[in-house]
Amino acid sequence: MTKFLPRLALLSCLLACSLFAQYDLLLQGGHVIDARNDIDGLKDVAIKDGRIAAVADSIDTSKAEKVVDVSGLYVTPGLVDIHVHVYAGTGMKGAYSGDNSVYPDGFSFRSGVTTMVDVGSSGWRNFPDFKQRVIDRAQTRVLSMLNIVGKGMGGGKIEQNLDDMDADATAKMAKQYPDTIVGVKCAHYAGPEWDPVERAVAAGTKADIPVMVDFGYFREERPFEELVTKKLRPGDMYTHTYLGRVPLLDENNKPRPYLFEAQKRGVKFDVGHGGGSFWWFQAVPSVKNGFIADSISTDLHIGSMNTGMKTMANVMSKFLALGLPLADVVRKSTWEPARQIKRTDLGHLSVGAGADVAVFRLDKGEFGFLDVRGARNMGDQLLSCELTLRDGSVKWDLNGRAGTPWQEAQGSTP
Amino acid sequence: MKSLAVVIGLALAVTAAAQTPYDILLKGGHVIDPRNDLNAARDVAVKDGKIARVEANIPASEAAKVVDVSGLYVTPGLIDLHVHVYAGTGARRGYNGDSSIYPDGFTLRSGVTTVVDVGSSGWEQFEDFKDRVIARSKTRVLSMLNIVSAGMTSGPEEHDTSEFDPEATAKMAKKYPGVIVGVKSAHYRHPDWTSVEKAVEAGTLADIPVMVDFGSNYPDARPLADLLTKKLRPGDIYTHCFAGNRDELLYETGKINPGMFAGRERGVKFDVGHGGGSFRWDVAVAALKQGFPPDSISTDLHVGSMNRGMQTMIRTVSKIYNLDVPLYDVIKMSTSNPANQIKRTDLGHLSVGAVADIAVIRDERGTYGFADSRGARYTGSKLLVSELTLREGDVVWDLNGLAGVHWKDVRERRRGQGRGRRRGQR
Repeated sequence: MTKFLPRLALLSCLLACSLFAQYDLLLQGGHVIDARNDIDGLKDVAIKDGRIAAVADSIDTSKAEKVVDVSGLYVTPGLVDIHVHVYAGTGMKGAYSGDNSVYPDGFSFRSGVTTMVDVGSSGWRNFPDFKQRVIDRAQTRVLSMLNIVGKGMGGGKIEQNLDDMDADATAKMAKQYPDTIVGVKCAHYAGPEWDPVERAVAAGTKADIPVMVDFGYFREERPFEELVTKKLRPGDMYTHTYLGRVPLLDENNKPRPYLFEAQKRGVKFDVGHGGGSFWWFQAVPSVKNGFIADSISTDLHIGSMNTGMKTMANVMSKFLALGLPLADVVRKSTWEPARQIKRTDLGHLSVGAGADVAVFRLDKGEFGFLDVRGARNMGDQLLSCELTLRDGSVKWDLNGRAGTPWQEAQGSTP
Repeated sequence: MKSLAVVIGLALAVTAAAQTPYDILLKGGHVIDPRNDLNAARDVAVKDGKIARVEANIPASEAAKVVDVSGLYVTPGLIDLHVHVYAGTGARRGYNGDSSIYPDGFTLRSGVTTVVDVGSSGWEQFEDFKDRVIARSKTRVLSMLNIVSAGMTSGPEEHDTSEFDPEATAKMAKKYPGVIVGVKSAHYRHPDWTSVEKAVEAGTLADIPVMVDFGSNYPDARPLADLLTKKLRPGDIYTHCFAGNRDELLYETGKINPGMFAGRERGVKFDVGHGGGSFRWDVAVAALKQGFPPDSISTDLHVGSMNRGMQTMIRTVSKIYNLDVPLYDVIKMSTSNPANQIKRTDLGHLSVGAVADIAVIRDERGTYGFADSRGARYTGSKLLVSELTLREGDVVWDLNGLAGVHWKDVRERRRGQGRGRRRGQR
């Protein structure tokens, strides 16, 4: 009995502390970057019941049940990766609605990502299967843009079938799941027609959600310039911005004027790095001369995860290597993509918002970054995700910062 | 005209390849290859997916591609002896389903080229597992069959002795020799020895080792010491050896269970199997202090461990490294030792002629925190980082682009690149 007394005392103390503590968790001493709230400086962040409870210069540590020292680190909203493929497990070979997809949780939290948007792996026909198979079982918040192709990204002829591109059915499914379906995707089309883009836009208009276009084969019959200056609506997105075959640069290696016109119109440019869609020779001159993608995203799938893309934090670090300030890189990975998908409840640390939080370390050194062709660029900064919270609970803790030293852990031998 | 240039270019490339005996040369690294007692500066040349030569100063001119790995360690591709990768079945909660993950996103980036799925499938589902995961992975995936016919369902089947079928298990193992490399007994919650005994029976029939996760702790009915000194055969494997759940560490005295030493004396092997609940710093620290290092370091990778203290194989190896185990030894525990345990002596070394599964590792110094499965933190000064991984001679992971070319040097390839442009114009 005597053996248990100290433990009992400890337990009641813990219980009392948690009952009376104003906050569940306090991230202390970090540098907060929150674009929505114009914050770029040292702040403490307090969390209660899975929500942001306070963001202030200094919050009393005695008010929190648990304090994590994040000094020297950057505290950001949980990242929103608006281009991934996570419809795994169907057994479909060679398809993003199957073997080319990955499960989200092993890639999201360790890179600071708390929300992922699967863009077009499923269409209206197989979205319910995707939902029950992945979305409902993931700890990551998984949202979806429906492929304009009813069967989704099934590969080969499935994605070229104009007869399966039904704007009405797509919009109907989107309206049935307004919290989860945030857009319409058009992708991989090889033919000369505008139909897939037009039907995606029609579906997007009917459901009042944006469209994201992967332009597939670039053909003279449907010029890229026309896509971004005429076909897409303000708020629609073109993804794979720095793909090799996008006509970005003129003969003097300067971004073509229509790109700026398109951005001015409100068309958004998404990185969508992927296994084939980020080329340094496009990105370096474009960014240097002011044509900068609006949102940073991975295009995570089995063909990108182990090549130049690797992780969301790695893709963000590439934009640091391109000379973007950290605050811009974070904004393009949080608040900006959240706005693009009209989920303004996400991507910021406003009091009352869900406590999806990422904590990053910014290492200085010499780092190499591959593009999709094995071309290397060097950078002197690398973002590493130290800690990730989803709805206030710790989902990733690289260096055990939220842990207790092992000698003091309960139940340890003396 | 354009095609003529391509033909000439191709001819030149072919000629160049013919003139260079090696496809890839890893130059300037420090090789650790415990199977060959090698721990020295060596260059490693690869040809046709196999190790072609390991020597000091192989001339760069003899390889089509040279990768400068100076300052780094070159080791055999790591072998993770304990994972769960039977994903995609849709089975909720089971390790033959939702608790598993696909291997390739976790292995190659961590220096791992071979994993052993231990018991996610039993003999009944093995062929589905093989078709669904093993045959579709870049990672070499081997398997130990669960003695439970239905596999690791996380349901009542795992505790139902009528599910234990040594003959059917052995028969399936013999059908796929070299792929099925063992039998797993796991999670058993009853106080009898049936699970262990049936697994050993199957292992004996198929002449393969058994790995035991000892399930619920019954210190009187089935004590750990009896398992290790009486029930298991030499060569069988006790996993979760630093879990502390089954008297590995005697908390009253702070001593490692004498049965662990007695078992090791008999030839029983001890595997880390970190997992989501099977690695405690107090046990690991005591074990290493008292002269009980593990035989093999493994992750017990699954959805419940991947985002917690375990994280990755390379960080799990780093944990043992921080317990004052020499680098050479932790590499041995992650390469040749596990290869020997599963009788796949063709793996886990860099002998000339062996498959070119290679890890290139950076040994960093700094201050690093490592959480155990309870979230207890050990602060260490060493961290291993996986820089480059080769699987059968192909680069399958390249953290800093060591095998890449500076982007300005590939710029001339700009025009005509990309399937879309070419196909779109045809």
